[in-house]
Amino acid sequence: MPKKRLNELEIGDKGKVIDLLSRGSLRQRFMDMGIVRGAEIEMVRRAPLGDPVEFLLKGYNLTLRQGEAASVLLEVE
Amino acid sequence: MIDSTNEEMAVVLAEMRYKAISDLLASVLSKKGGRWTYTDMFDHVFLHKSLGIPIFLALLWAVFQFTFSLSEPFMAMIEIAFGWLGGLAEIGISNPHIASFVSGGIVDGLGSVLVFVPPIFMLFFALSILEDSGYLARAAFVMDRLMYKLGLHGRSFIPMMMGFGCNIPAIMATRSIDNEKDRMITILVNPLISCGARLPVYVLIAGAVFGAKYAGTVIFSMYILGIALAIIMALIFRRTLFKGDPSPFVLELPAYLVPTAKTVIYHMWERGKLFLARAGTIIFGTVIIVWFLSTHPWDATAGGVIIENSYIASLGRFLEPIFSPFGWDWMTAVALLFGFLAKEVVVGTYGILLGVGEETLGESLVGLGLFTPLTGYAFMAFVLIYVPCVATIGIIAKEMHSYKWAAFVMAYLVVLAFLVSGSIIGAGRLLGLS
Repeated sequence: MPKKRLNELEIGDKGKVIDLLSRGSLRQRFMDMGIVRGAEIEMVRRAPLGDPVEFLLKGYNLTLRQGEAASVLLEVE
Repeated sequence: MIDSTNEEMAVVLAEMRYKAISDLLASVLSKKGGRWTYTDMFDHVFLHKSLGIPIFLALLWAVFQFTFSLSEPFMAMIEIAFGWLGGLAEIGISNPHIASFVSGGIVDGLGSVLVFVPPIFMLFFALSILEDSGYLARAAFVMDRLMYKLGLHGRSFIPMMMGFGCNIPAIMATRSIDNEKDRMITILVNPLISCGARLPVYVLIAGAVFGAKYAGTVIFSMYILGIALAIIMALIFRRTLFKGDPSPFVLELPAYLVPTAKTVIYHMWERGKLFLARAGTIIFGTVIIVWFLSTHPWDATAGGVIIENSYIASLGRFLEPIFSPFGWDWMTAVALLFGFLAKEVVVGTYGILLGVGEETLGESLVGLGLFTPLTGYAFMAFVLIYVPCVATIGIIAKEMHSYKWAAFVMAYLVVLAFLVSGSIIGAGRLLGLS
């Protein structure tokens, strides 16, 4: 299956988390929010100015900046 | 080695935790597929590509109007009530010295604190509604791109905007910024956002030296100057004192809820109470000190009537050499010293020193040659930048848990005020203005 980074998803795209490339507190924060291996994430929308980006995961809405989303590696269908 | 083991442990823990959650959920949660929730519907509008920002600005405008327009009559009532109380004390107390202390010190001191209660309570009432409804997180989402470019966080935007009304509630509103560095920068530059109390000074000086035709444009330029300086200082602080990127933006957009009256009032009361308890004593104490300096030596000032003979006037004369290169005299120094209490007091101080009412004050300033358009403009910039009022200093000290930071704010703003006003004078003289 092709791999993508979380910031490369377009509206409506879905993917499954396979790795977190960040380290330290950001990685911890991501895991606390449920971005763990196997989690399914859908891209919902961009903010009016293009950044940050809203995602749907585990039934709630999470927003991340593109730069931070780039550290999440996904596999997409 | 240990670090990486710890990190792996954390990963395994998180993954197992979420696996347990989803296994549990699979057996108890049935999803109604395809239906839109209210939150989806609202977000479709509030976060819309082209409607999102206009809606945000409209809501911000509504909060601003609610806070500062609606609180104005209450502030006026408090001022009148304390003016009346002060008058009562002066008549009712036979010893003039004590009467002056009660009226000019205690009553004015209490009034200076309580006058901020209406805007603070109203701002926190409005912000609580935004927060409890779930919109405040969306506001940060909408504005983050812009604020990130300025080295700040999306959550910094609302406190900055509130600064146009009053810097005190604005600085208290920074509590919604959870990263300490982001919050410190937002507090440090907030006094540069031109608050409502500076407007009377601009109106007086701009009206007097530029005339009614240009006054509006000149006043507008003060607001722009303040915003520009706030941006520049935020970038400087981000590169020096608080190095590093703004904190990551990892924010949940909660489901929209109708706020309950109980929580909104509770939030308003809790935060409003903080202002009274924390900044109140500092403001009160300073008013007493200024009362003392402006009415003593008691005999020479004839009981605080002849302000020219007071300690504060001596201080103004002592400081005059610093200001004379700007074309300002000792009266300006005194007015600036009083402006520390509240910036609009600068206007009243000129009235007392020149012995004229506010209606003809502008004419007197120009007639006596106190200000030319150049020195007047530099003075307006100086009033914008130099030390925030004592109430703002008080709240900075308390919100940053440090008098050192409050002293730092005063110091950097004084230096900045001299630099900017000096540059205005210097540039003007190069162009042949006087």
